[in-house]
Amino acid sequence: MAARAEGPNRRRPGYRARPSRVVGAAAAVAVVAWSLTGLSDLRLSILVSVAVTAVAALSLDLLVGRAGELSLAHGSFLGIGAFSAIHVGSRGVHWLVAVLVAMAVTGAVATLVGLPSLRIRGLQVAIATLAFQVFAEVFLFTRPDLVAATRTFGRPAELRTDRALYLLALAAVALTLVVRARVGATKAGRVFVAVRDVPDRAPVFGVEPGAGKLLAYACSGALVGLAGAVLAIKAGNITAKDPFLLLESLQLVAIVVVGGTGSAAGIVAASVFVKGTPQLVGSVPGTDLAPERVIPIVSAALLVLVIVVAPRGLGGVLRAAGAWIDRRVGRAAGAHRADQPVPGGHGVPVAPPSGTRTSADGRTVAAARTLVAVPRPLWTRMPQPAVLEAAGVTVRYGGIEALSAVSLEVRRGEIVGLIGTNGAGKSTFLNAVSGFAPATGSIRYLGRELLGRAPQVRVALGVGRTFQDLGLVRAERVLDNMLLAQHWLADYPAAAGIVGIGGVGRTERALRERARLALELFGLEGLADRRLGALPYGTMRLVEIAAVVATGPGLLLLDEATAGLGTGEAALLARRLRDLRDTLGISMLVIEHHVPFIRDTCDHVYCLESGSLLAQGSPDEVADDPAVVASFLGTGAGALR
Amino acid sequence: MTARLLTGLATGAAYSLVAVGVVLIFRCTRTLSLAHGEIGAFGFFVGLRWAAEGMPGLGWHPPRFATLLIAVVVAAALSGLAERLVMRRLVGRAPLDALVATLGVALFLALAERELFGTATQFAPSPIGEGRIVIAGATLSAVRLTALGAAAVVAVAAGLFFTRTRFGLAVRATTGDPTVARLMGVPVRRVYAFAWIAAGALAGLAAALLAPAFGGLTPFAMTRFALRALAGAVIGGLDSIGGAIAGSLLVGLVESLVGGGTGVAGSAEAAVLVLVVGMLLLRPQGLFGTVGAR
Repeated sequence: MAARAEGPNRRRPGYRARPSRVVGAAAAVAVVAWSLTGLSDLRLSILVSVAVTAVAALSLDLLVGRAGELSLAHGSFLGIGAFSAIHVGSRGVHWLVAVLVAMAVTGAVATLVGLPSLRIRGLQVAIATLAFQVFAEVFLFTRPDLVAATRTFGRPAELRTDRALYLLALAAVALTLVVRARVGATKAGRVFVAVRDVPDRAPVFGVEPGAGKLLAYACSGALVGLAGAVLAIKAGNITAKDPFLLLESLQLVAIVVVGGTGSAAGIVAASVFVKGTPQLVGSVPGTDLAPERVIPIVSAALLVLVIVVAPRGLGGVLRAAGAWIDRRVGRAAGAHRADQPVPGGHGVPVAPPSGTRTSADGRTVAAARTLVAVPRPLWTRMPQPAVLEAAGVTVRYGGIEALSAVSLEVRRGEIVGLIGTNGAGKSTFLNAVSGFAPATGSIRYLGRELLGRAPQVRVALGVGRTFQDLGLVRAERVLDNMLLAQHWLADYPAAAGIVGIGGVGRTERALRERARLALELFGLEGLADRRLGALPYGTMRLVEIAAVVATGPGLLLLDEATAGLGTGEAALLARRLRDLRDTLGISMLVIEHHVPFIRDTCDHVYCLESGSLLAQGSPDEVADDPAVVASFLGTGAGALR
Repeated sequence: MTARLLTGLATGAAYSLVAVGVVLIFRCTRTLSLAHGEIGAFGFFVGLRWAAEGMPGLGWHPPRFATLLIAVVVAAALSGLAERLVMRRLVGRAPLDALVATLGVALFLALAERELFGTATQFAPSPIGEGRIVIAGATLSAVRLTALGAAAVVAVAAGLFFTRTRFGLAVRATTGDPTVARLMGVPVRRVYAFAWIAAGALAGLAAALLAPAFGGLTPFAMTRFALRALAGAVIGGLDSIGGAIAGSLLVGLVESLVGGGTGVAGSAEAAVLVLVVGMLLLRPQGLFGTVGAR
């Protein structure tokens, strides 16, 4: 009954609408049209409650699926929305005002309930929301003045018929789906996902984790408030508290899980099954059992079953069906197939970048100009011979000195290698530069001190980095990750993105264009819609480098650039990095183990041992330095040389 | 005042029986169970039904005291079944998945109770008899006294079990690191099963002691008590048995003093909410828990 409009919008230039989406949308339109023409008013009024549940479940999923926060208080939020709507609506104002107030009040309450999540995580958040649910039931919902026991929200004239009410409920579902789609396509969704999957590294993208969480609670609460308001308009006065009790909160969780977190279509279907079938079906076929008694038990059993055997729920089934349709249609149309080999995968060489084959290529230079055109302070554009000057950098963890007084320099247009054995402090140095390790000394970027600046500030100044173990979100698509990396480049507030005001569309189009250019530089443009986690490891690493390049960095810090790549692929990556340096003017500091890579690529090499600088010089000098050889291979009779 | 203190402590003691089970499961599997209120309730429902209508097949009416034993045995069996069929398959998955699964079990049992035993409050006679004693001017019913005694016994037994027995050591090893424990030859699966069965038995006992004191048994009511037990466990520290008992006693006391003291509906729950959220914010590992419990 609802469109499968979940996820970023599909009308990006260069990306085709998937056939499965068309089929899904057509099916949704058909079901809605049938319900409007073929059903009696009584049935329609039942469908109103189904839609209310669907809105509540979809908004709960926004919190659970996107932001990874389990709320067990959504039943009470529904009640808070309904009672606020009755309070306002019974005072003779326009019903839309009542709906808006209900959304605002519930959003505010949900934000309050979400406050503890700034300090606690996971299970503890669930417990805190549970405590609120119980508190609301016995403290708030037992007070006649709070639940507006003596007031009635008279049904407005234009909503008198069940049909009109049903249309209102459908509009609420549609609005919820639009909000979900907006969240998915703008900053807000990327904040939620980063908070969920990579909370510790979120600053690299410029994400403020606390604000992101609260925004998720506020959005989810406002939408439940909408559901509550529809319920209030339908009932006028609510005396029975059943729809707002713990049981309902748990059932909403059950609907989300059975429907499949993240799948709007699955969740709507689950809502229809759990709330609709008991009333719409007379009796369970072949028996005299009343479905309103059987369905809840079946859905509880389904909840357990789904968690154990099919964690992606109904949505997983629908997604598989959609993928099947896309394959059938796509094969006919000759589109890029999902099972096609990808660059960086086993036995597939990283194709030479289509744009950077020759540095003189006009298209490449244009792409380069676009990528480095990032709003930055003027001083970052001043010609400076040294991009990075580190002097006496020391990092201490408790009594252990992980890095002692390391000094090194990256000059403009240089690729500098950082080598050393395990535990030598290479990654620690990168962490110090990017702001993830507490350092003393001095780290200057283009002449300005970096120490004391937050990680997200350093990224915004142009210090981009990759992580040894991949700092991206594997559960999301390549394109989403590319956009997440550019999060700090989107200059609109996350909340404005959901509403869609203030040049959001223009900004998003610009970010997508940058993402496309960066992917093309690495020959990855065909993978934009693939889930990152489904790609070979080497490809994921390439995507991560492309994501950082998309932010137009002045200095690129690569932690083990060639890990996961074969010899031939590593050579091609080396070529690509040199091209990047030549066309984009990006200086690089690369942690590397692969000797041919270092000899071919690096202009200068530093070698660390036990947190101190052991040697430096040209790649050949360092590789032949006896101290370096001893550090890697040991000395004495057992050593190789 | 003394009466309120004593009833509060006794209620808290009954909560602590559930809380100890929840903590035991959390220590072994890092899973938070919300199912144990309903597991215990189901056991006691079965006990009451058999006492009233005779055991199926046998026609024998168990005496009143046996309702408690039936509750313990049935709840332990149900809990073991839930572990075997559901929870075991979720080991190693995201903690929220396991939490939602226990919610599913609770929901299923509550709805099944509604089908089997009806929605009306079921009169629950005390399995221990209706005797009461007077302590310092306050009367205390037999069930409440038993709850206090049972909590004390459980506390001592748990202490001895963890320090004096090989299996207790195995449980502690599993808490520390299940993978290493398995490599050391600890039967980790048996430890998981033990935790769930023991927690089920304790939940059955708690149901048989709580329901008579609170005027009967309805589907889903025990989950509310279990939530207070959970609050106690969170306050005391999710991985500390002693903490769970102390926290539950505190919750019982606060509930009795605030709820009975102010006479405002819901004030007890408000106080518990403040306690739980305050504790989570100020000391997320609880009073006696380790940082690993966060």
